[in-house]
Amino acid sequence: MDVSLEKRMRDDEALMEKNFVVGNLDSLLNWARGHSFWPVTLGLACCAIEMMATGGPRYDISRFGWEVFRASPRQADVMIVAGTCTRKMAPLLRRIYDQMPEPKWVIAMGSCANAGGPFVDSYAMMAGVDKVVPVDVYIPGCPPRPESLLYGLLQLQYKVSNPAKVRLMRHGK
Amino acid sequence: MANNELLKQLVKELATRVNGEVEESFGVLVIKVKAPYIIETLTAAREFAEVPCDFLHDLCGLDLVEHFEVVYQLSSLRGTQKLRVKAILDRENPVVASVTRLWQGANFLEREAYDMFGIIFNGHPNLKRIYMWDDFEGYPLRKDYVTEPIEVRNIMRTRIEGE
Amino acid sequence: MIIDDTEELILNMGPQHPSMHGLFRMVVHLQGETVTKIIPKIGYLHRGMEKLAESRTYSQFIPYTDRLDYLASPHNNWAYVQTVEKLMGVEIPERAEYLRVIFGELARIASHQVCIASTALDMAGWSAWSYAFRDRERICDMFEMTAGSRLTVNIMRIGGISAEPPAEFWPALKSFLDDTPEMLEEYYGIFFGNEIVQGRLKNVGILSKELAENLSITGPVLRASGVNYDVRKAEPYSIYDRFDFDVPVRTGCDSYDRTIIRMDEIAESIKIIKQAVRDIPAGPIMAKVPRVIKPPAGEVYHRVENPKGELGFYIVSDGTTKPARVRIRPATFINLQMLPIVALGWKIQDVVAIFATLDAVLGEVDK
Repeated sequence: MDVSLEKRMRDDEALMEKNFVVGNLDSLLNWARGHSFWPVTLGLACCAIEMMATGGPRYDISRFGWEVFRASPRQADVMIVAGTCTRKMAPLLRRIYDQMPEPKWVIAMGSCANAGGPFVDSYAMMAGVDKVVPVDVYIPGCPPRPESLLYGLLQLQYKVSNPAKVRLMRHGK
Repeated sequence: MANNELLKQLVKELATRVNGEVEESFGVLVIKVKAPYIIETLTAAREFAEVPCDFLHDLCGLDLVEHFEVVYQLSSLRGTQKLRVKAILDRENPVVASVTRLWQGANFLEREAYDMFGIIFNGHPNLKRIYMWDDFEGYPLRKDYVTEPIEVRNIMRTRIEGE
Repeated sequence: MIIDDTEELILNMGPQHPSMHGLFRMVVHLQGETVTKIIPKIGYLHRGMEKLAESRTYSQFIPYTDRLDYLASPHNNWAYVQTVEKLMGVEIPERAEYLRVIFGELARIASHQVCIASTALDMAGWSAWSYAFRDRERICDMFEMTAGSRLTVNIMRIGGISAEPPAEFWPALKSFLDDTPEMLEEYYGIFFGNEIVQGRLKNVGILSKELAENLSITGPVLRASGVNYDVRKAEPYSIYDRFDFDVPVRTGCDSYDRTIIRMDEIAESIKIIKQAVRDIPAGPIMAKVPRVIKPPAGEVYHRVENPKGELGFYIVSDGTTKPARVRIRPATFINLQMLPIVALGWKIQDVVAIFATLDAVLGEVDK
């Protein structure tokens, strides 16, 4: 994305404050994507129980419109890697990622998915799921609380609906 | 405690028959035998009069550097008797007879001991790796196994067709 | 028209499959819809806990046991610390024993609720799932206010328990215990009383008593096959000999009994907790243990009644600060062996139901 486009998007937001909506189709699509993630049910270990609790009555992920957990990766656009990814599982995880249609995002939930967690020096482990798939949001914790998962998903929503800003953030401007 | 005395006596008789040693550790009788006698020992323990140790509670391998041991934890659903049977295996040639014919439940447990220690169970119906993938090299729970460095472990393995 | 001979279909279920409770995989051979052969494949969550234990000190390994059966983590802590205490000959204070029983039985209730919830979910019953998860949150709250974490509680220490429950714990526990009869009523109404559930579970997947004993099966699955055996009664550990409770036994041997027996166990756990709350004495919660845990050389095997079955720890010590070998006897790993035998001849959807009633947790199966 070039500098002129970024400038235009910032101008858009200035207009929006004056109750004008000037948009292109792309930002509409991004808005829609960010508010209705369809996560694939990839519960690997302990974090999966917290992911289920997030979907449960107390934390109620459907308040945000992300409750449509799909069993098939072909219907999903977010992969929440909830738990320990071992060396035996890694190629299958990659295969599930490859089966997802574009655009797709990955959330690494929990210490094991982030960097191997407490098991990092074991013979059966790899140090984090980012060795296999590109990760967008890392959620620390062992396991992270349901609030953490919701916050992580909100971060991803921000990232999806504001590609320009995220790009700026990454370059430290 | 009469049962315990009876069990002790039966185990001692059995030990003389199979050239085993009897010890006691934390109230549990331990009988150590050489690998070729294991089927005979376990069959006899299963059919002890009045105190049959007929429930295979656990089976695991043990690496004692000079030799391997296979440890069978026996108990019963109809009494408090407990017995630990240890088979002593040669380190160079760890072979022992499978007990899947006595207890079907030993199936997974023996596969696990094979996977982790490389102990061969003769007569097992399906002796394959259970935890690690088929191409994995080495037996991780052996004391001389060296864990690969993280750079090697981070390389994704190739998927086996059908997985 | 009846087709009596069709081509064999090989179906690969899992590891990523909604009804596989984690990363279980099975290769199912089908004749039409009838199962002719099942090959279970496990190990996708194998983290090498037993090897890690050899490079950790005795205390450092306690958090790892949480990650075995993560639905009932206090139980795993309990089994492990009791084994080490047995090896060292430590007597722990009365109050700590009572608190351990309270937390253990609360974890048993939470685990059984998840079992009922996931069995419902595997048969596409979303409402029963959300009811069970709603009630489980209250137990998680109680864990959180005491230990600081909801799921992997890590509350036991060698020689006692890590924290005294705060003042608000006891009213929360009391109101939870008061609400349980109504809770169980709801589960009966929405799940077990449902005609579809009964049709899909009753007389499906018969596990006979003889086969169960031969397969070394333990826990609720064994008791649903008519064997009256519970370690808490047969060989009381901790202070279980002081409580008055029954061991629920069912003789149906089918999937329905394997699920509903967990409801009976919840009722018994409530009875135990009520007695423990009534009798709990004041006093310290940690025994005097040395700062560096260094058990004498020796070996010990100890087992406890986990919600899923018997969890055993076999620790070999060589007199140093690190164990020479820690062997974990996972309950569901061994219980899982019944699946390829019992599910033969049933339809593909019954295999899912039979697997759900085993309440397998892959963290424990794969270690």
